[in-house]
Amino acid sequence: MIAAEKISSTGKLVSDFEEVKKTLPGNSFVQNIRQKAIESFAELGIPARKNEEYKYSNVQKLFADTVTLSVAEAPFSNISIQKYLIPNLDAHTVVLANGVFSEELSSLKNLDKSIVVSSLQNAFEKHPELIEKCFSKCADINSDAFIALNTAYAADGIFISVPDNILVEKPIHIINLIAAKESTLFFPRNLFVVGKNAQVQLVETFETHDLPVKAISDSVTEIAVDENAKVQYYRLQNDCENGQQINTVCASQQKNSHFDTNTVTLSGGWIRNNLNIALNGENCETHLNGLFITSDTQHVDNHTLVDHRKPHCESNQTYKGILDEKSTGIFNGKIFVQRDAQKTNAYQSSKNILLSDDATINTKPQLEIYADDVKCSHGSSTGKIDDDALFYLRARGLGIASARKLLLHAFVNDVMQTIRINALREYLETLIHKKLGE
Amino acid sequence: MAEQNDILEEHISSEYKYGFSSDIETETAPPGLSEDIVRFISAKKNEPEWMLEYRLKAYRHWKTMEEPRYWAHLQYPEINFQNIIYYAAPKQKPELKDLSEVDPELLATFEKLGISLEEQKRLTGVQSNIAIDAVIDSVSVKTTFKEVLAEKGIVFCSFSEAVQEHPELIKKYMGSVVPYTDNFYAALNAAVFSDGSFCYIPKGVRCPMELSTYFRINTSGTGQFERTLIVADEHSYVSYLEGCTAPMRDENQLHAAVVEIVSHKNAEVKYSTVQNWYPGDKNGKGGIYNFVTKRGICLEENSKISWTQVETGSSITWKYPSVILKGDNSVGEFYSVAVTNNYQQADTGTKMTHIGKNTRSTIISKGISAGHSNNSYRGLVRINKGAKNARNFSQCDSLLMGPLCGAHTFPYIEIKDKSAVVEHEATTSKIGEDQIFYCKQRGIDTEKAIRLIVNGYCKEVFNQLPMEFAVEAQKLLAVSLEGSVG
Repeated sequence: MIAAEKISSTGKLVSDFEEVKKTLPGNSFVQNIRQKAIESFAELGIPARKNEEYKYSNVQKLFADTVTLSVAEAPFSNISIQKYLIPNLDAHTVVLANGVFSEELSSLKNLDKSIVVSSLQNAFEKHPELIEKCFSKCADINSDAFIALNTAYAADGIFISVPDNILVEKPIHIINLIAAKESTLFFPRNLFVVGKNAQVQLVETFETHDLPVKAISDSVTEIAVDENAKVQYYRLQNDCENGQQINTVCASQQKNSHFDTNTVTLSGGWIRNNLNIALNGENCETHLNGLFITSDTQHVDNHTLVDHRKPHCESNQTYKGILDEKSTGIFNGKIFVQRDAQKTNAYQSSKNILLSDDATINTKPQLEIYADDVKCSHGSSTGKIDDDALFYLRARGLGIASARKLLLHAFVNDVMQTIRINALREYLETLIHKKLGE
Repeated sequence: MAEQNDILEEHISSEYKYGFSSDIETETAPPGLSEDIVRFISAKKNEPEWMLEYRLKAYRHWKTMEEPRYWAHLQYPEINFQNIIYYAAPKQKPELKDLSEVDPELLATFEKLGISLEEQKRLTGVQSNIAIDAVIDSVSVKTTFKEVLAEKGIVFCSFSEAVQEHPELIKKYMGSVVPYTDNFYAALNAAVFSDGSFCYIPKGVRCPMELSTYFRINTSGTGQFERTLIVADEHSYVSYLEGCTAPMRDENQLHAAVVEIVSHKNAEVKYSTVQNWYPGDKNGKGGIYNFVTKRGICLEENSKISWTQVETGSSITWKYPSVILKGDNSVGEFYSVAVTNNYQQADTGTKMTHIGKNTRSTIISKGISAGHSNNSYRGLVRINKGAKNARNFSQCDSLLMGPLCGAHTFPYIEIKDKSAVVEHEATTSKIGEDQIFYCKQRGIDTEKAIRLIVNGYCKEVFNQLPMEFAVEAQKLLAVSLEGSVG
């Protein structure tokens, strides 16, 4: 533990930085960015509820309890990762233990030599040119307090670079594990650089290994997708109830590129997902799919922003939520069409089912459009399980429980179908089955 | 804050030094706002003590509030609230001999809207023999209306009159839907409201006419801080129309009105607005800032409130007519057409708060942006816990005309009950080239074709308007969009 002192406020986080920064990796370029980031964080502060972007997610409450800062600690490694693997998934495995790359737990055999999968610290030293080109480029430190905070403090994470014209045959599975004995704040930072005409499938899972106390993870992932590249990025959030995440993914797409992402949230205490996609070239295509099935007092907040900057791009979003018990779900999507982005085709849909009177769903699908020759639409609907459909099934001899389950499975099916890795989809289906069955 | 208080304190004392408040006969208050100004307005209107107290409470609360500047999708220079004159007796307009002295541009607009000569003269303030006849005529019309209404027990008068004559009703209902603590502009209005109308429909009465007809003759000179209160008692019905399709050349830049509607058991209130205030010139100079708080409450079961609005004027519109659905089985509706052209900005929508069981709400919003304008829909649908079987349907469409305008949708949907069914859909697009081609093929030129298509697009809302207004609204739409077609 570098800063063993308790932290609880913006001021403390800013003042601690002076001490911590000496130990943080990175050359002067990175240090420079860190300094700017902490200045930006000092100005933005931990957002209050008055902040429109955090209206439904009380982050100040999250930071009200004192937490310890965890920066650049050695990862834990004396564990078995067997139970965190996805059955039948033939993949390269990378493990991040408390936000730090663990070489020991990772298995990267048979990976093409041209592909770099390493710790971010390592990349700071060995690939300064890529770092300078891509680090802190699409995650704007002035746009969000948690991007700023992460950029300032982040010591490690995963760096993946797929060079031009390379097709990564097997998916890369990134396992995020958290273990802590006292309340801790982590800053994982990932950077994925995908070259021209390259293709890669990324699977990221979030699990808690051993967490008897509450922990907060403020993570940022940047993905640079070059011309003609194709990236599929799947995330499964399966933390325990003490896991609290503020998870930001920023992707930037160049001409003719294709980016698909899928965010599935099944458990975890408090989750905020920010997904920002900037379409910086013509003819880009992006698909954002999400699914959250919540129970207990879970809080899941999905924020998406698709920024259409160039003409002839297409974006498509489908988010579905099933909320039970006292859980809260939020979908806040924004489609932004800039003046130049003519002939944009953008679609957004948020559909939710409430299973309990104590559950809450807040949705805010937004369109902000400055170009006229576009087709943009969104839809949002919330309801209960259709009584007619239930009756239809029961009339055919299904019990009420299995009829409900069948209808809920049908409801999530179109999001599930967008997962193109069979082993992953099957694994998710069993997890969902278990979750809905209880 | 302390410093601010000092400055305010100074203001108050310095104004007091000039002793304007003793000069009760003054027609215009000095610019600025202070407790003395509030007292002055109240004294001018000869209001009872409780009314003054209410105004003062509102004023004190307003002082503690901050101007909401950042959440709405609007940009405008800072408003100096100490630079505004909060009371001016209805102005004597310069007398014009006949219509030829009136701005020809204004007359051309009247022509297009099909407004009668008599009304044109009244609107432009022409004093002539014919006009006097018209005035006499309208006075008589007014009295006949008044008789009919009085016979039924309907109270319909100016707000100030109601304060004098029906204090029990005003005390009971004023501020019950929009309390002065509600927001910055509602507090300001409660402190300094000039006048407005009050309407009470007694039990079991169906108002025999659109209150618009009467209102249009009676409305002039209500000032910039209007306050309207409509109370529909059990089993009653009223249709109320505010505003005018004719362009209003009002020199007040800031308008902060409050409208409150109370609908009791089985009662129905239909409130239609056509707003066509001065939108500023082609370069966005001038124009009205329109900050309005409108809200209705369906207090008891089976009540209904329906808002219909056609917004074409004002350089800035900030307006969210809302319904609180408290009674079981109550219904709220919102139909809106908002047109922005040149440099106009509109941030408008509705709030539907479902509290009672089996409550239903419908939102249909059509935005049209042209020129350099920005048009936003901002709405909230909230289903509270315990609002069983609540139902909402929202549809917000935006039409973009030209590459420099913007259309935005910001719906908020908050649901806390599992039996709720809520649907929202929104689209943004431009007028299809194939649609225009189809019309042109049949000999309809582009301008007319666009008018036709836009009118079709707004049909759902226009259908909700009283008939004669629907006709005028259609023409108004054409005038507002003139020249926006490239």
